This record gives sequence, C-alpha cells and structure tokens, in this order.
Amino acid sequence: MDHNTYIPKLAKIIEIKEEVGGARPIKTFRTQFLNVNDFSFRSGQCAMLSVFGRGESMISISSSPLMKDYLQFSILKMGRVTSSLHEMQVGDVIGIRGPYGNSFPVEDWKGKNIIFIGGGIGLAPIWSVLNTALGKKGDYRDLMLIYGARTSKDLVFKEELEELKKKMPVHLSIDVEEPEWKEFVGFVPQNVTDKNPSPKNAIAVTCGPPIMIKFVIKALEELGFKDEQIYTTVENKMKCGIGKCGRCNIGFHYVCKDGPVYSWAELKKLPQEY
Amino acid sequence: MEKVLLKKALPQWVKKLESYTIYSPQEEGDFWNYEVIKNAEIIDLDYLNTVLSPKKIIFPQREVLFEFSTSNEDELKVKEILPEERPAVIFGVRPCDGKALTLTDKVFGGDFKDPYYWKRRNSTTLVGLTCNTPPSSNCFCLSVDGSPHSKEGLDILMTDLGDKYYAESFTKKGDELLNSAKALFKSPTAKDKKDLEKIKAESKKKIKRQIKATEKIPAKLKDMFASPFWDDESLSCIRCGICTYLCPTCHCFDMNDEVTSSSPIKGERVRTWDNCQFPDFTMHSSGHNPRPDKASRLRQRILHKFQYFVELYKNYQCIGCGRCISKCPVGIDIIEVLEKARDYGS
Repeated sequence: MDHNTYIPKLAKIIEIKEEVGGARPIKTFRTQFLNVNDFSFRSGQCAMLSVFGRGESMISISSSPLMKDYLQFSILKMGRVTSSLHEMQVGDVIGIRGPYGNSFPVEDWKGKNIIFIGGGIGLAPIWSVLNTALGKKGDYRDLMLIYGARTSKDLVFKEELEELKKKMPVHLSIDVEEPEWKEFVGFVPQNVTDKNPSPKNAIAVTCGPPIMIKFVIKALEELGFKDEQIYTTVENKMKCGIGKCGRCNIGFHYVCKDGPVYSWAELKKLPQEY
Repeated sequence: MEKVLLKKALPQWVKKLESYTIYSPQEEGDFWNYEVIKNAEIIDLDYLNTVLSPKKIIFPQREVLFEFSTSNEDELKVKEILPEERPAVIFGVRPCDGKALTLTDKVFGGDFKDPYYWKRRNSTTLVGLTCNTPPSSNCFCLSVDGSPHSKEGLDILMTDLGDKYYAESFTKKGDELLNSAKALFKSPTAKDKKDLEKIKAESKKKIKRQIKATEKIPAKLKDMFASPFWDDESLSCIRCGICTYLCPTCHCFDMNDEVTSSSPIKGERVRTWDNCQFPDFTMHSSGHNPRPDKASRLRQRILHKFQYFVELYKNYQCIGCGRCISKCPVGIDIIEVLEKARDYGS
C-alpha cells in the first residue's frame, strides 16, 4: 500500500514570534519534526498543519528550502485552526503533512532580475522564494522587494526587513501617513509605479490580498511587463491537499495540487472563480 | 468465463461465499439500499435500483482516517485506521453504478493513491445485474457512453433470463466467485446465448430519456462560464444538496476532528461526504467565497461533470442513473439543463 498522505507527521513548535498584534494578529512559528527528517520542499509549496482536535489548515511555508533545521509558517489569526495555533506555546506538538502543490520556477529565472511585491501576510510565501534567490545570489541578477501593509504595525518580518536592506533594495509602504514614517505612503500598486522597475529581463512575483494583486498586475502591465513575466499565488479553501476533496478547483485545476503558483498568463486562461 | 445459474440456486451460491462480507439490495420502507446480508435466503434481485449506489460501501459517508490521543506521559500519538481486510461481494449492482466506480477510481487514484478507498475497492467483487427494463423513468445511460448491460467496473454481469441468470465474468475476482460454487453453475446453451443477446438488445430500446449530441456540450459549456444562463437555471434551487448526495460519481468530502476527550486530548479525524451545493463548501475563513451564490454552485456541478472532468479524464462525470432528477425537490433536471445549454444562444 502506498504511503498514507492523510496521516500528519508530528512536529514541535520551537519558536513563536509575534509579528503583528491587534485585531488581525500574525505570528511566525518555527517547527521541528519529532521523527522525520526527510521532509523536502520547494519555495511556493504549502503544508497542511493540524491542531489535533481542531482540524487542519493549509499554510504556505515561509522558510527557504535552503534552511534545513526548521520549517517556518507565518500565520494570520483567522479561522478555527489558525486561532488555535495562535494559542499554542513553544514545545506544543502539531501535525504537518505535505508538502503540497507546485512551486516558483526559480530554475527558469536564473540570470534574471526579480522584483518581489507583497502586501500584508502575502510576504510569507514570497519570503521563502526571496531567501532562496538570495541564498543563490550568483544565479540571479538584481533583486528588489516592494512590500506594504495598512500601517507600520501591520508589516511582518520587521527586523528581518531591516537586515535585508543591507543585501538588496527594499521599498516599504503603508496605506496612510504616520508621524515617524519616512518611506512611501500609499497602496502597494502605487509604490510599484513609483519605483518603476524595468521589465527588461525581469520577473515579478506578487502575493497579497486579491484586490492588491489585481492592481499590482495592472501597474506591472503599464510598466511593460508581459503576462509570462508575472507570477502570483492563489489560495482557496482546502481540505485534502491532494486534489480529491473537490473544493479548491478553478476550472479543472486544483489549486492544492496544480497551484498555488501561477503565471498571469496561466491564470488568465482559467475561469474567473477565485 | 460464462455460466448460467438457476434463479432458485442463488441463495445456495451466496451461502458458499462465507469468507466474504455480502452486500445486496434490501428493502427499507419505501426504499431499497445496499446492506450486509445476514441470511442468504433473503437475497432478492427483483428490484429497480437502490437510493444510494454501491459507492457508499467503497467510499462510505463517514469514515475514521486516524485516531489521536495524548498518553499519560503527555506524548501525542496518531494511529492510522485502515478499513478491515475482509473481502466483500456486492450483488445486484446496476451497470451504471458499476461504471461510476471507474470514474471515482480516477479521482482516488493518480499521484496520491487514497489508501482507504483502494483497500475497499481492491477487496470488493462487484456482481452486476443487467437492466432488462430501465430501473428509473429518468434513466439516460445511453447519452453518457453507458449501457444497461455495460460491464465497465464490474467483475461479473448477471442477466435475468426468466428462470435463470446468465453470468459473465470479466476478471479474476469474478472467476473466483463463480468457481466457488462450481456445482451450481452450468455452461450456457446456444438458446441461453441467444436469449441473452435478445434481452441486451431490447434493454437499450426501453430507455426513454436521452441527451441529444452530448459530445457537443463540453465545448459549449466552456464558453458559457460568465453567462446569465446559470442564474436562470438555479433560481428554483433550494441548495439541499440531494443531487450530489445521491450521485454515484460525486466524490467531494470534508475532513474534521471529532473529539471524545478534551483533556487529555483524544479523538478521531473523520472524513465525511461534502457537497458543492452548500455555501460554506468553498467559503474562506475571511468570509470571501469564490462560489457565493446558487448560480455559481449549480454551474460548478454541471461544469465539473460535463467540462472539467472531460478535460481531465476524457469521460463525462455522469452515468445517467437519473437519481438527481428523480429526487430533486424542485424539479431541476440535468438533462434539460444540458440540452438548454447546448442550444443556448443559437
């Protein structure tokens, strides 16, 4: 009998970091498997996290595959399972199954400039691929991050972003003015237009709220980016993670298995149902 | 292998199959449904069709995937619960319902083989029964590449010849079943074979309902995604979900934790049938819903069966049993919806 993918592997939470407080809190969890060390994944893939007794939730892996010691997930408190995760402590045990889905085609991007564009919690899936590109910097040309949130308090990875500024251009934004804020004020798509990245030999990767993605893509198109140069991720409600339970489909594509990473060229061909 | 069995010898055959769990259609009030047969004498294949197809045996409405518990040492344990090994036989499977399993096989197969489904599927022998007369006035198997004597998915097909059954075995599992009671089975005579062909030919003629030019529908549906057609067709839907609940090809499921003790934690992860006609089927925890209304959900049901599944597997995900038509409380008729879609705008 084949391996039973429905059975989660046990993992211990080894670190919890509060990224964002308030009404829409975000925490970053680092986990280590209790028994398994053969979990390998690619940037962009997701894992199904179990809180036993509460259920499962599909979460993108925000650490880079180059980091072998732990898996990292940055999670917005939203539904039943993510709320339970937010109550957990270091040392608590969760279940992890996967990895599921496709990944960013980083091999195809070698020799190119990459512009990462994120909004809010959307930095989580970007963080994995960004760190993969950064870890193999010789393979890529110029890297740039454009990232924004509603307020400065809603930005995730604040300390890491400061570190990142030493390695590559990082352009932050917040939606409305704050006294201490020295960077861009406005929505992420406006910051994209403002920073004016060149489409020449470039790939743009964007993750965030659907409305942001829509206008980022519009801004990129105005800058001359072609559909094949723009990548994004799609999320839908999922249960099985393996294309069987039937709810995450867009047309005949199952986002859990055939996604979550799509080029804008691919996504345009599918029905507008996400 | 082809054999004939006297009808009155059927219970004797069933008695010989003591190493199997035997399911057969049994009358429950107004309905027939598959149940484990407790006494071989009660086997009765003189029925129309069951409310639920044999899918419910291979892919039960509720099943435990694993148990989880915390021991005294505070250590969390997960225990896989696979279906039992005992082989099963299902008698009286209508050919369309047998074919339905070849479609769910595609879904539960592929890159990730579903161990729960396949354990039951591989240990179950399906004994079909030709539909001499259509079991439902809404049968339309001929329009979706089926037939009242289709052998697809079946191990044995039995055809009622009056006082005897003509049994055709197509698989090793089927041969084993016929060989388990050799003395009861005779070789068919030339007349038996002639009678069989006659009944099979007539069975097709008795099917009254059909979709004309089904093959034109997938391409047409592809162009109708944004059409107001779905608003009109779904107006009467009361989102009860009976159409997919009774469908032998529908496979959507939910997974939830059922907790029997909260401290220390103890419970089961349970898989249950789910339903694309329910609003929360696709609703994100944020409240965003990609299929927010009845129109988008009816469209999903029809497009899944007659466009997406065809794009993925080259088959319609419909076997023409007519259950969704007969049981819909508001009279939504998939044949009418498809024919209207086919002719829409022309």
